Amino acid sequence: MSRVFVASVGLVPIGDQWHKSISDLMVEAALKALDKCPWAKPDRIIVGNMFSGASSSQEHLGALLASCLGLKGVPAFKVEAACGSGGVAVHEGYVAVKAGLADVALVVGVEKMKDILTPQATKALAMAEHADYTQVVGTTFISLNALIMRYYMEKYGVTREEMAAFPIIAHKNAVTAPHAQFKRAITLQDVLNSPMISDPIRLLDSSPAGDGAAAVLLVSERYASKENLVEIIASEVANNYFLVVEREDPLFLEATYIALKRALDKTGLKITDIDFFEIHDAFTITAALSLETMGLSERGKAPRDALNGKFELNGEFPISTFGGLKARGHPVGATGVYQVAEAYLQLTDQAGPNQVKGAKYGLTHNFGALDITTAVHILKRVG
Amino acid sequence: MIPIAFWRNRRRYYNLIGNKCKSCGKEYYPPVHICKKCGSKDLVDWEMPKEGKVISYTILLEPAEEFKPYAPIYLGLIELTNGVKVIGMLTDVRKEDIRIGMKVRATLRKLTEDRDGGQIFYGYKFVPVE
Repeated sequence: MSRVFVASVGLVPIGDQWHKSISDLMVEAALKALDKCPWAKPDRIIVGNMFSGASSSQEHLGALLASCLGLKGVPAFKVEAACGSGGVAVHEGYVAVKAGLADVALVVGVEKMKDILTPQATKALAMAEHADYTQVVGTTFISLNALIMRYYMEKYGVTREEMAAFPIIAHKNAVTAPHAQFKRAITLQDVLNSPMISDPIRLLDSSPAGDGAAAVLLVSERYASKENLVEIIASEVANNYFLVVEREDPLFLEATYIALKRALDKTGLKITDIDFFEIHDAFTITAALSLETMGLSERGKAPRDALNGKFELNGEFPISTFGGLKARGHPVGATGVYQVAEAYLQLTDQAGPNQVKGAKYGLTHNFGALDITTAVHILKRVG
Repeated sequence: MIPIAFWRNRRRYYNLIGNKCKSCGKEYYPPVHICKKCGSKDLVDWEMPKEGKVISYTILLEPAEEFKPYAPIYLGLIELTNGVKVIGMLTDVRKEDIRIGMKVRATLRKLTEDRDGGQIFYGYKFVPVE
């Protein structure tokens, strides 16, 4: 089996891209990555996307991207795992290269969220849950997270103010991230005064809707002598029971736990060996649950640890180094690819003011819905 | 909401009918195809108890399109007396009176209706027990 390397990445700034279609976004990200490696000719294309049908009346994204790039004869297809589509797309690219079925896998994550109105986007996002038993009682994805957030705060006696630590860190890191949707810092008062969406979730507890696309070019060990490579040393995907109410402990992210454990077992690493963590902070509550499930905080203690600086860029375990889902943005099906691209930038010292100095290992963590499908990647600096 | 999909499951929504494993006795709502506890495929439809308590709740100000006319909607995470957890709307209650631990009972109510004047969607909601 081949080793798998990231050879280059391409990032489209996230935001309102009214002037670009979903194919424009995909092509822009892909060309940014391909132009850095003129020697690379993709022999596999994977597109991660959640709801192009609902947002753009467009499916069949794999072949569409290949065709737009002037390619014929390439296995090219879309994979979907809700908000985890991007992480799963990277996994599929990894699998193809690892297995020797591809030498150059182009992985693109894309989402067009701003061509439709908020209620339509809300409906599209709710499709990540079991339609027959959540949508019919009026639940949206945000309200589901709100139920879990209140449950968490109640169980561990965590205050509203403490929870706000996570969006504040995310926004702080996004200030100097060129591709971030919100390049501005926020204060505790900003969080507490932001509009209520689904009590206790306020606007600034929630990742924003945005258009975006990111690309990573994965290559086999045939190209191991090329410059600026980062190795993917683990790529794991796991599922959890679909409905949160089916789970013994709704505050423990079992898919995250299993995928992470496999990744660590296969690499022989401990969680504390990892230098930074791109976590799935779609909501304030998912940041807390992710860090606690990963063992970076004790149960119920992540918000307090965040307040004490543990997860800052210069802290013990830096998270969301370019702003995470909250502030870099969360174009849902693209997010997992942004994370891997960001880990690549960190591990090739191209992160600018966001650089985690001397980072050797980076972890990305991306899930669909609330930890229903979870992809974990560990990347390692080469040389 | 897809009318036929709702119609197909209507009895489950009306009476909270899930299922029960004939082998180990574990109860489920929503129903499952294979028992998650013992792996048996031998399950029978089973009506959930109607009483439970609120273990979490939210006031949703921005619901999906079908529920817009009823915003804000109150949603509860309810633990039924058999231990099964379900999510459902809370009704006949003032926002300020909702609290964790509150005892509730499932009742049949209108959830929403087909926008084109078609089907009215009925299902369970939870009301406080005095």
